[in-house]
Amino acid sequence: MSGANRGRLFLENAAKAAAGTHSVSDTGELLSALGRVVAIDSPVYCPGVTALEKAVASIFPVRAADYTSAAVTVEEVFGAIAETGTLVCSSEGGRAVQAGLLPAHHVAIVRRDRIFDTLDDFFAAVCGAPPTNLTLVTGPSRTADIELTLAIGVHGPERLDIILV
Amino acid sequence: MSPGQTSLAFRENTVLALKDPALRAAMRQATDTFGTKRADAFAPVAGLEALRDRASAIREDVLSNLPMYVERFVASATRAGAVVHRANDAATAREIIRKILAGRGARRIVKGKSMVSEEVDLNSRLEAAGMEVVETDLGEYIIQMEGETPSHIIVPAIHKNRRQVGRLFADRLGVPFSDDPQVLTKIARKALREKFLSADAGISGANFAAADTGSLVLFTNEGNGRMVTTVPPLHVAILSIEKMIPSLTDLPAFIRLLPRSATGQPITSYVSVLTGPRKAGDATGAKELHIVLLDNGRTEILAGESRDILKCIRCGACMNVCPVYRAVGGHAYGWTYPGPMGIVLTTLLTGMKESHPLVDASTLCGACVDVCPVRVPLVDLILGLRRRKVREGFAHPAERRGMEAFGKVAASPALFGLGQRLAGAFWPVVRALGGKDVAGRMPAPAKTPLRRRLP
Repeated sequence: MSGANRGRLFLENAAKAAAGTHSVSDTGELLSALGRVVAIDSPVYCPGVTALEKAVASIFPVRAADYTSAAVTVEEVFGAIAETGTLVCSSEGGRAVQAGLLPAHHVAIVRRDRIFDTLDDFFAAVCGAPPTNLTLVTGPSRTADIELTLAIGVHGPERLDIILV
Repeated sequence: MSPGQTSLAFRENTVLALKDPALRAAMRQATDTFGTKRADAFAPVAGLEALRDRASAIREDVLSNLPMYVERFVASATRAGAVVHRANDAATAREIIRKILAGRGARRIVKGKSMVSEEVDLNSRLEAAGMEVVETDLGEYIIQMEGETPSHIIVPAIHKNRRQVGRLFADRLGVPFSDDPQVLTKIARKALREKFLSADAGISGANFAAADTGSLVLFTNEGNGRMVTTVPPLHVAILSIEKMIPSLTDLPAFIRLLPRSATGQPITSYVSVLTGPRKAGDATGAKELHIVLLDNGRTEILAGESRDILKCIRCGACMNVCPVYRAVGGHAYGWTYPGPMGIVLTTLLTGMKESHPLVDASTLCGACVDVCPVRVPLVDLILGLRRRKVREGFAHPAERRGMEAFGKVAASPALFGLGQRLAGAFWPVVRALGGKDVAGRMPAPAKTPLRRRLP
């Protein structure tokens, strides 16, 4: 699969799972996408560790000290899987995977070169020595436990935005 | 299920269930929706039969080498820093978990949905030890509040409608009544968030366990499973030994089949792969991870004629299509697992003496076999258990004599023809005595039997 197709398929499938999807080509576009996606007065948690996170961390007027008190988490995630429109969050490198779980809004930045075509490609790459926590995230938190009626936003985020860079 | 109901009361339970219009409406609506969602989810999947073959072959390999995979899992999970416990039966599992929790002074426990924990009746033991155990899956939260048990392995509160849930929340949580699932979900989110953040320990099940890396795999949608396994300092996972898969590279087949079969989703919102507890340099994961591997009869099942039931991956598709389950719901079955897979597992795990009426709870129509993603031969297994029921003397003597007599009559064309003529002759009497019920439901015998109309 070509890089462009892989990115397109990933975003298409993520959108089917009710994620908001955005595609940008440089840091400038990333900043304006974040400006549109994140409410200006929300306390934002951004780890500020990866190069992309460092580039965006300073634009949020209200910074939360940690993810438990944040309304939004903005972070770069480990990668993605095109087949299912899935984000991969990993505990590798001291990342707190639950940062993308507790706040009501999760904004995930994905680098285009970090997309795997299929579930098989992804698990073949990580099966040797998996980190403590690998979480595949597809769309926002949901339930159908009452009359099988879909309700979005149970214990995890009620809103998931993906920005492909 | 009200406490005290057992699988032995299956027939009585079905009579009550059939007279409950709210239950029947809820079951019809839910199982129809499930059917549509499942069909829609599989429609675009190319090579579905090959995918089922592959998943079935993986499960078959696991069963054929189960002790080896379990040993391998124990070794790799231990290497990853988890403490692995082996429990031969339910009582041992309960006691191991109580000791782990009590030993660390844990009082407030949050729990993710786990049918194995229902099987061993874990909550009551922990509550008796003075612990607060909060079910955090929305469906489990609802039925725990009502003092019920799950009536479906995927959607535990499937038997309840939105108004019943709204009234329950209004009564117990003091919130304004609402029958909007979205509003009710937010109420649960708020009530449970503080429980997660203040919990001393989390208890979860697992959908799969990867033997080569010692990883636990959990398929969830709500996010409560992620909370339970990452927020509290202590995580206890309980799973039965047949949940093994050889490697994480086997997982894609099950990701493609399990959520589609269960809820009609191409993948669940979350798939968590947990390998050991939090390690040096980690910022994720419980500080301590205990894994309780439960046998509770599996090794014995594996050695017997019903071993293929252990291929089951608990998707619930068989119950959604079962005409008996659809009519009576899950509580009638009287134990943890309902529907076709439940008939087999319940009989094997609780014993024929405790459950023999269940083996009749099937029309043998085979709808369950058509949908099973891992090709569990449910009809053959149920027939096998019916033979065992007769062999072990649990069949009613009158039923047995009747079937023997029918066998003799059906084997002789002369006797069979006589029977047909008698049935025709006595039909007016039967109809007169049986009243509307019989006349309405039972077809009248043909004037000329089919075998005499054929050349």
